[in-house]
Amino acid sequence: MVELITSVRSIAMANQPALAVEPDPNGVGWCVNAYDLSPDLVASVGAGLELVLRVMVADAAVADVDDLPDISGEREAMGGTVRFIPDFPFEPGVRYRAILDLGALGEPGVGDVLTHEFSFPKEAPDAEPEVSQVFPSRDVLPENLLRFYVRFSRPMQRGRVEANIAVHGLDGSPAPDVLYRAPVELWDTSMTCLTVLLDPGRLKRGVGPNRMLGPPLKVGERYMLAVGPGMIDANGRPLRERFTKAFTVCEAVRAAIAIEDWRVLPPKADSRDPLELTFPTSLDWAGLWQGIIVVSGGGEQISGRVGIDQDEMRWRFTPDAAWQAGFHSIRISPDLEDACGNTPYGAFDGPFRSAEQISLETTVRSVPFEVKGARGRT
Amino acid sequence: MKDHSVSGLHSRRDALGLGAMSGVGLVLAGSFLGAEASQAAPLKSPMPLLAGPLRSAGAMTFGPGDVLFVGDIMGSAVHAFALRGTDLTPQTGVLLGNFHNFEGATLVQGLDLRLGALLGTTYDNVVINDMVVHQPTQQIFLSVERGRGADVIPAIVKVNRGRLELLKLDGIPHSKVSIPDEPNETARLEFEPQQVYAITDVKYYNDEIFVTGISNHRFASTLYRIPYPFNGQKATTTVEIWHPVHGEFETRAPIVRQLILDVGGEPYLFGVYGCTPLVRFPLAALKDGAHVRGDTIGELGYGSNPVDMLTFNSPFDHKDYLLVTIDVRGGMQIGVAELGTAPPEPTGGAIDFGPGGLGKTQRELPIRTEHMAILNPRWGVAIWRHPKTAYRVDLGTLMSPYFFDRRFGMSEMNWPDGPDPFQYREHRNEVDRV
Repeated sequence: MVELITSVRSIAMANQPALAVEPDPNGVGWCVNAYDLSPDLVASVGAGLELVLRVMVADAAVADVDDLPDISGEREAMGGTVRFIPDFPFEPGVRYRAILDLGALGEPGVGDVLTHEFSFPKEAPDAEPEVSQVFPSRDVLPENLLRFYVRFSRPMQRGRVEANIAVHGLDGSPAPDVLYRAPVELWDTSMTCLTVLLDPGRLKRGVGPNRMLGPPLKVGERYMLAVGPGMIDANGRPLRERFTKAFTVCEAVRAAIAIEDWRVLPPKADSRDPLELTFPTSLDWAGLWQGIIVVSGGGEQISGRVGIDQDEMRWRFTPDAAWQAGFHSIRISPDLEDACGNTPYGAFDGPFRSAEQISLETTVRSVPFEVKGARGRT
Repeated sequence: MKDHSVSGLHSRRDALGLGAMSGVGLVLAGSFLGAEASQAAPLKSPMPLLAGPLRSAGAMTFGPGDVLFVGDIMGSAVHAFALRGTDLTPQTGVLLGNFHNFEGATLVQGLDLRLGALLGTTYDNVVINDMVVHQPTQQIFLSVERGRGADVIPAIVKVNRGRLELLKLDGIPHSKVSIPDEPNETARLEFEPQQVYAITDVKYYNDEIFVTGISNHRFASTLYRIPYPFNGQKATTTVEIWHPVHGEFETRAPIVRQLILDVGGEPYLFGVYGCTPLVRFPLAALKDGAHVRGDTIGELGYGSNPVDMLTFNSPFDHKDYLLVTIDVRGGMQIGVAELGTAPPEPTGGAIDFGPGGLGKTQRELPIRTEHMAILNPRWGVAIWRHPKTAYRVDLGTLMSPYFFDRRFGMSEMNWPDGPDPFQYREHRNEVDRV
């Protein structure tokens, strides 16, 4: 329950018009009530209620823009009470002013204007946000790396990525134009996971920016991904400290994901041991969560929990129920990528195909494995 | 923000006697309304839901018959609101400016300040995502969000003769289509990353909407083609678009902005990619499950982030032009007639200024706008940041086809006795209105 911070406090006298900020009994937010007005005048003023009870953001005007609108909202008249319900909930930390203009109500001889300033305090400050993880985990990354994922410990605010996230040379030298300026920042809905793309125009061999500036990263060089404290969380708190991830650049990876090189370690029957897949190269962290599923011999998806570790080279699956002996399979989405955008069906920038050859593989690859009993037999 | 003392207030407030407290007391909050107001029935119905089905409000476009389509990234949907007559207000008579003298008019000064005041927040806590014009009424619609976090409050705001009004969505006939998919029924575990399709553009053409976007988990170039009215089934078309590069390679390329035009009797979709080329697809090729390689017909230049893509008809030569505004530098204008005939660039190189290329009509324009739309053949409307303040964003008109305004530059005709080679003084009373 929030407390109100108000600038004026006094006790009401009976039957005197008064203003109050109270919970909206019909809704979930707060409203402003004007009490003890003349019911006849309230009924007759009709649409003029907009001038009788006004609520606005306090002191928002500036020199050349001073006729700002009031807060958008609805007014209800109930006898001698007028209620203002804002269309948008009052925002913590913003100062508001409610004005009750008794003169506009038409009370003869009464020109009083009551004001009531109020605000709702922001939530008690929590710990400052920090960067909890960056993927890919490795600190040796290929020249044609396509994206990073940056995970924050708290939901963040959008709009500050371009100014606060950058790649620099490890010695501090600038490495301009490495990251893509996306038209929309690529957050997930919880606003804790941000996708940061490197510039596809520079990654794609032969496209204009690649011809002009070369690839974003140079083999053998050392860089740093920096996330600055200008990144703020939903409460307006900045990062506790600047976060950096240092990395060295190795040769590009320009090949399809080689599923045939995956190692499958099946679990034992009647256990809930994890199924383990090990990949020869790191795969895309986000894609691994949903890109591989486990299916029983009968074709039904098995529910369970995914775990990713060893620099995104190991994927483990712990089923909710014990494994049954028999053949199962893993199904791999054709959209599964590695950190460079290569998929099971082709490299990120693959050789040009003629129009007749163009197609998109949508086949789901399937890799069977057998769950055996403890003695090696089902 | 300046702090106003009572004496410095606007005269209207002085008349109200603001600050002159009477002996009347103020009641503190804390008690519920309870029994005090039970005597009379309310004169108005309970508060209408304002946000309604929207979880966020992004790219917009108008469809046929006053239908407003709104892209909703957080809600994974595109909404269709069939606006009623009461939701629209003809803007007849609104001053647009002096066309001959390159003088536009400010339609809303301090748009961000006014939006903040209207939505009950500070000016810097409102984001304007898109702007579209309802052509029959010439009314301007904005998609805005209060807040920048996970719990944004979306709103559609209309401009009505210089004043801002919220579009009350409650009661407007509404339908939607889930994009990319229906929300997964199985609960997503909290620590798992969620896949989001960031809708970048929505366009309507011939009983269908076309939706482009960027995924946060895959480098996918999915384009959705969805019949409207939305039928119960999810009859979408997913197209993977491959982009030819240097004649050697091909890659996937998400479309950032798109426009559908009839050129030479055939409909085409023109798109701008994040890696800068301008591409063309015959609409007929964008079939369900098809994987189409667009023709690259030009490049916008490195570092470009296309902001708006629109067409206008020049009031001088009456030809149609495509205009792409770019965030780091003005805009690019290209003749529409040439878009259909421009040969595809096998190299994806710079715009060809030769006789066959787009360079003939391509021109850079000195516009730096945050949002832009076309009002009518003589006027565009734009939102731009005031050059001298940190906070002010204005909405105003720009004459077509140069989209240049004298107010933003030094000009000799601004002095009463200065030279006037273009006869501005002679034409100074000729104003256009809606």
